[in-house]
Amino acid sequence: MRITPAEVAALSLSIKVALLSLVITFPLGLLVGWLLAKRTFPGKVLLNTLVMCPLVLPPIVSGYLLLILLGRQGIIGGFIYQVFGIEIVFSEVAVVIAVSIISFPLLVRGIMTGMESVPVELENAARTLGASPMKVFWTITVPMAYRGIIGGTILGFSKSLGEFGATIMVAGNIPGKTQTMALAIFSAVHLGEDVSVYRLVFISTVVAFVALWLTERFTLR
Amino acid sequence: MADSPKIKLDFRKSLGNFILDINCRLETKVSAFLGVSGSGKSTLLNCVSGTLTPDEGEIAFGDEILFASASKINLPPEKRRFGYVFQEGYLFPHLTVAQNIRYGQQRSRKASIVVDILEISGLLQRYPKQLSGGQRQRVAIARALAMEPRMLLMDEPLASLDSSLKARIIPYLHHVKDAFDIPILYVTHAFSEILALADEAFLLSDGKIIANGEPHQLLTAPSVMPIAQLTGVENILSLPVTLSDKARGVTSLEIGSQQLVIPYTDAEIGGLLPVAIRAEDIIISLAPDLPISARNMLHGTIQVLDVVGERTVLSILVEGHLLSVKITHEARQQLQLQEGSAVYCVIKANAINPLRA
Repeated sequence: MRITPAEVAALSLSIKVALLSLVITFPLGLLVGWLLAKRTFPGKVLLNTLVMCPLVLPPIVSGYLLLILLGRQGIIGGFIYQVFGIEIVFSEVAVVIAVSIISFPLLVRGIMTGMESVPVELENAARTLGASPMKVFWTITVPMAYRGIIGGTILGFSKSLGEFGATIMVAGNIPGKTQTMALAIFSAVHLGEDVSVYRLVFISTVVAFVALWLTERFTLR
Repeated sequence: MADSPKIKLDFRKSLGNFILDINCRLETKVSAFLGVSGSGKSTLLNCVSGTLTPDEGEIAFGDEILFASASKINLPPEKRRFGYVFQEGYLFPHLTVAQNIRYGQQRSRKASIVVDILEISGLLQRYPKQLSGGQRQRVAIARALAMEPRMLLMDEPLASLDSSLKARIIPYLHHVKDAFDIPILYVTHAFSEILALADEAFLLSDGKIIANGEPHQLLTAPSVMPIAQLTGVENILSLPVTLSDKARGVTSLEIGSQQLVIPYTDAEIGGLLPVAIRAEDIIISLAPDLPISARNMLHGTIQVLDVVGERTVLSILVEGHLLSVKITHEARQQLQLQEGSAVYCVIKANAINPLRA
């Protein structure tokens, strides 16, 4: 009944990818969430739609679009292959990109909701007290929006941990390289390795439960 | 105050159908704008503070231009150094009182003076939600002062407080006025606050200044009474003090040959004391000898009888003073009141508010 090295590899890849994705998307999420919650500018609706798209698109479709973009023939992938000689698709980098795109809307949603709840009057009051817009952001908007920010972060992180559709499209299912928890479960089910399935499902469920519980703890009063 | 910088306000701002059109100079220490809600008071302060940008015009503080549409100057609020006290306080809920006060502080020692003047040293470790309404407003005033502003903007700082709390905060505003040598721009809909604090008053109606002058003269002028009725009628009388008896807890004022008894206040005998009486707080009686507790029965005659919406507004001449009284149409009919009727104005001593700290 021991956990196998392959399972450990899948679990640690999932965690590593989710953390990396969080580090990359969090600053961007703060910026985009703030823009959408607090600013008016031309193209705001378009930006909102683009960011939220992966939430409504089937992940497999998002993954397919990414595959086209990042593949050796794609606009981005082709450029990188020619300049650096690196192929993105079917690599760990591709996993990170896939889960980042899929989890980003959840992160932004939380941050945006949190920041929308911060009254503009309080931000104006801070301005009259001599605070620059930057200082207002860090000392008023962010601290007061912390429930939304933490909520969005935990939801986005858990989504990253379990992402399946986009990952398998753009990164494949290569054990020890791009096989995350979700993909490992998929393979194990296919191969009829019931014990392995039980273990992985159990671990995934615990992780998801804890993440959700943490979210509720921080976001509910 | 002779050396205070002149403030020039000459700008236009439209918000939907509403247009604020201001053109005035503020030359006294405390300038007050009086108007009903919707007359543009907050819009005015927001334009001065820089949190709202006027469409057109100029705002200058002394020689410094803060906003000028012609030369595209618009100093952001954080560069204007105007302390702003909001009606709702707008304390930062995630910071303690001490952190709120320190928020705008310019590495100064003024903060401790401010804390003393407003008597909030016992509250420093609390969070805003642990404060009462009056405490919250004192902290808001302290926060605005601690940044060492060059002008103080006050947007109905007392409006969210009940009348007994108001009376307790006004002395603090007097301390502030005396201790800080900066101009104050005060907006309110309450006559009594203007009389208690302001050196010059501006009447704001539908976005425009319709009258200005020394507050007492301006607000008791007959031509202003229609505006007074809009802002919630308050009678303002300046009457000589005839008796002040601390033991009995009463002070007596003379109104012609009649007496007006008010709760004890530390006023000099022989001096004039301005008092405010809300028009709703006066009861009309046809007979003088009612067995009731109210201390005052002023005899007078009805000069004017006006129907204002749901209410009848009477202007009653008492010993040369006009008192506005608001009653229901039903009361008017039952008492068969007409212009020229002789009546008694019944006023509880506690309904008469002295306007001096």
